[in-house]
Amino acid sequence: MATDSSSRRPTFLADHFDTAEQQADAAKLGMWVFLGQEILFFAGLFVAYGVFRSWHPDVFSAASHALSKPMGTANTVVLLFSSLTAALAVRAAQRGARHQTTALLLVTIACALAFLVVKYFEYQHKFHTGLLPGQWFGVPRTFPGGAVMQRGEAAPALPAGAGAFFSLYFVMTGVHALHIIVGIGVLTWILIRNLRGQFSAEFFTPVDNVALYWHLVDLVWIYLFPLLYLID
Amino acid sequence: MSQLEPRETVAGAEAPSTHGGALRHLGDVRFYVAVFVALLCCTLLTVAVSSVHLGALNLVVAIVIASMKATLVVLFFMHLATGSRFNAMILIVSLMMVGVFFAYTLNDTGRRTEVDVDQSAKVSPATGLPAPGGAD
Amino acid sequence: MTTATTDAPTPHAGHEPDPRESYIETTHSLAGTKQGALSWLTTLDHKRIGIIYLCLVLLAFLMGGVFAVLVRIEHLTQGKTIVDADTYNRIFTLHGVVMVFLFIIPSIPAALGNFILPIQLGARDVAFPRINLLSVYIYVLGAGFALYSLIHGGIDTGWTFYTPYSERSNSFVIPMLTGAFIMGFSSILTGVNFIATIHKMRAPGMSWGRLSLFSWGLYATSIIQVLATPVLAITLLLLILDRLFDLGIFNPKYGGDPILFQHFFWFYSHPAVYIMIVPGMGIVSEIIATFARRQVVGYWFVAMSSLGLALLGFLVWGHHLFVSGMSEYAAMVFSALTFLVAIPSGVKLFNWLATLHKGSISLASPMLYALGFIFFFTIGGLTGLFLGMLAVDVHLTDTYFVVAHFHYVMVGGTVMAFIGGLHYWWPKMTGRLYDETLARIAYGLVFVGFNVTFLAQFVIGSRGGTRRYWDPPPQFHQLHVVSTVGSWVLGLGFIVMLVMFVRSLTGGAKARANPWGSAAVEWQTSSPPPLSNFAVQPTITRGPYDYHLATPDELSEDR
Repeated sequence: MATDSSSRRPTFLADHFDTAEQQADAAKLGMWVFLGQEILFFAGLFVAYGVFRSWHPDVFSAASHALSKPMGTANTVVLLFSSLTAALAVRAAQRGARHQTTALLLVTIACALAFLVVKYFEYQHKFHTGLLPGQWFGVPRTFPGGAVMQRGEAAPALPAGAGAFFSLYFVMTGVHALHIIVGIGVLTWILIRNLRGQFSAEFFTPVDNVALYWHLVDLVWIYLFPLLYLID
Repeated sequence: MSQLEPRETVAGAEAPSTHGGALRHLGDVRFYVAVFVALLCCTLLTVAVSSVHLGALNLVVAIVIASMKATLVVLFFMHLATGSRFNAMILIVSLMMVGVFFAYTLNDTGRRTEVDVDQSAKVSPATGLPAPGGAD
Repeated sequence: MTTATTDAPTPHAGHEPDPRESYIETTHSLAGTKQGALSWLTTLDHKRIGIIYLCLVLLAFLMGGVFAVLVRIEHLTQGKTIVDADTYNRIFTLHGVVMVFLFIIPSIPAALGNFILPIQLGARDVAFPRINLLSVYIYVLGAGFALYSLIHGGIDTGWTFYTPYSERSNSFVIPMLTGAFIMGFSSILTGVNFIATIHKMRAPGMSWGRLSLFSWGLYATSIIQVLATPVLAITLLLLILDRLFDLGIFNPKYGGDPILFQHFFWFYSHPAVYIMIVPGMGIVSEIIATFARRQVVGYWFVAMSSLGLALLGFLVWGHHLFVSGMSEYAAMVFSALTFLVAIPSGVKLFNWLATLHKGSISLASPMLYALGFIFFFTIGGLTGLFLGMLAVDVHLTDTYFVVAHFHYVMVGGTVMAFIGGLHYWWPKMTGRLYDETLARIAYGLVFVGFNVTFLAQFVIGSRGGTRRYWDPPPQFHQLHVVSTVGSWVLGLGFIVMLVMFVRSLTGGAKARANPWGSAAVEWQTSSPPPLSNFAVQPTITRGPYDYHLATPDELSEDR
């Protein structure tokens, strides 16, 4: 007899999968492969950093002292905390606790936004003091309102080559910040789907995978922080 | 005898993973918080060490501590400790490739002018001193 | 086609397609429609996505081919023939960019792989059909940026975008770089999809030892795509930023290092050549097994050599920059490793030859391409070894020897394999046969034309003829003319092939399920396949080349 198996198939199970477990495993594997590629993406930046730091260790050391350790540390703590809340959000979703999941996702997003705010102030400070990438390091600038900054006036006494450090600083933290913004986007999307009741103890894979992405963003920062802010 | 028979077992030829997806065990909240506290401690440690002058060791210590933090995140927040071994392989192979990229590139950039004294390099990048046999 | 038993579980619960309806007649689509233009534009079916990719890469091949013909025509006479030097630089650059990024990288995986892989696994689709569709649109978006640059005169930096010139050139560099950046993600997503599919979507009984060698090849290729392409992405991004903001990462004028750019670029681009060749080798294994009608000798050696190429391919990129000014010490290390990477290729070659030996050989057109591959790839691979030797490379680098080498492996290798695979799976994909006589004529023209074109270039290069010159020195003129005439014969071969395929589509004989009498899984379903690939999901009880275990019914060409 031709069985109508559609009544046994959960709605979240896609047609081309046989079981929910197969779907979840495939999605998770795919996500880890994607994370592998993200790691290689950032690797290029770390290699460039490694090369330039090995060539100009004193310049890098001096330039690193111009960064704000308290702000960097604060951002590190915020991001680590957001990883905790993301992991707890997955756990809540796994238990089918919808409201808890929502709350934890909201906290994660709030942490991400806080990170960006701190970043904004850091960037702003650098723009005002001429700590800019490459060519622009220490260049005299005219601000809106007419105030003129002379060369070397606000930029602390750093060697001219410090432009290399700030090139890498802005690209590395900038690309990382872009990933944070994307993270906020996907976390919000998951939040909305959760509010719509699309997740349950049987199906919470998207929460799981978005959290994996978020942890990767945290992992990158775990390495960025000492390499940029804590050079002795 | 035909290859085409109604299927008896489900899913791929691999044994279904008992740690995939919905079948994964539930973590303990206190454990997650403990991991977070450990991460915080590592962070404070690395900031503290950065103001101690250890020379070349500073970089090594910083990377070691960062790697400890990363390991905690990967094993427990990302559930690799209890998850599929293949997913862990993916991470390890990716990191190996990063290692290759690093090692071979720095092997070049760190050793310019090391072997061939006739290369037309005026200044050795590593030391800043005039390269032996450098161009006119 | 075997008829489904009445109590077999329905393969596609929820949406019940008629098992007799082919993928051409119906589909799953995001728009929900089953027929019509929108059903193609939003299709979630891997077979339709494969066909779309096929059309796109063939268009790209045509465009790249036109640039190639123009390059060769310019060398017909000394001095200016049809274009001036600056335009010539743009034409050879665009030939390279279009052929590498728009054609060859996606060609076998995205076009043939998408269609065939799930069927060879006994699966209904890839693991992530929507991501598959997304990869198509990402490719189109990237190609759009490239075309935008092209319309505005293209770029003249060479497809390798070396700094500092790529940062100084006043051609439309940034749109082209953006296009390549975007297209990289299409490649990455295909790789992600295939890895997940091969791990999780295999039919019951499909153990790793029963996987087809094409699947193994795609698996290895996907690993490379996922690990290498992001490095290209960051390289192009850094180049764009360096060019826009004078960051001084690759530009020596601002404290950067141009050799670092080359390291970054080739860290991707060397593994990229394995993205190009490994799936092609998978196709050759398939064709040889079918047309020698036996199990591939050393199945596990061939399978593992694909993985070996994938991994070893990441260790040798420095051989592209031996004379760039890199450290001699590092150059020696890269040279030694380059010799190592020849080994897995050699393993495959010997296994194919052993399979042919005492096989029951049929010289059908796909087999001609597979045999041609063996010939061309041997020449290409061996000349690669010459280039891998440091002392020899100092003389041969940046000459036509290099150009001939990589055309032998990329065209004589990958393109031959791609076309061979296209011939081989054409009946499966279209449900039609093509004219075998025309196929042989085309093959003859391609074989002769290709050898004339590029053997001449080996000679030019070994005598010191530098590449990328608009006006080569007079002593190479005659050989350049020979090469150009060869390119016309090659082009004619492709035109004959195109005519043959068009005629097949418009009026070719209908193909049955297994026109080649192959034992592999994809031939056990109808031509063209139904939407969910099989009327009933197969249970796999033997390997794809186990001719001694296959039943006469499975091998029958009459079903």
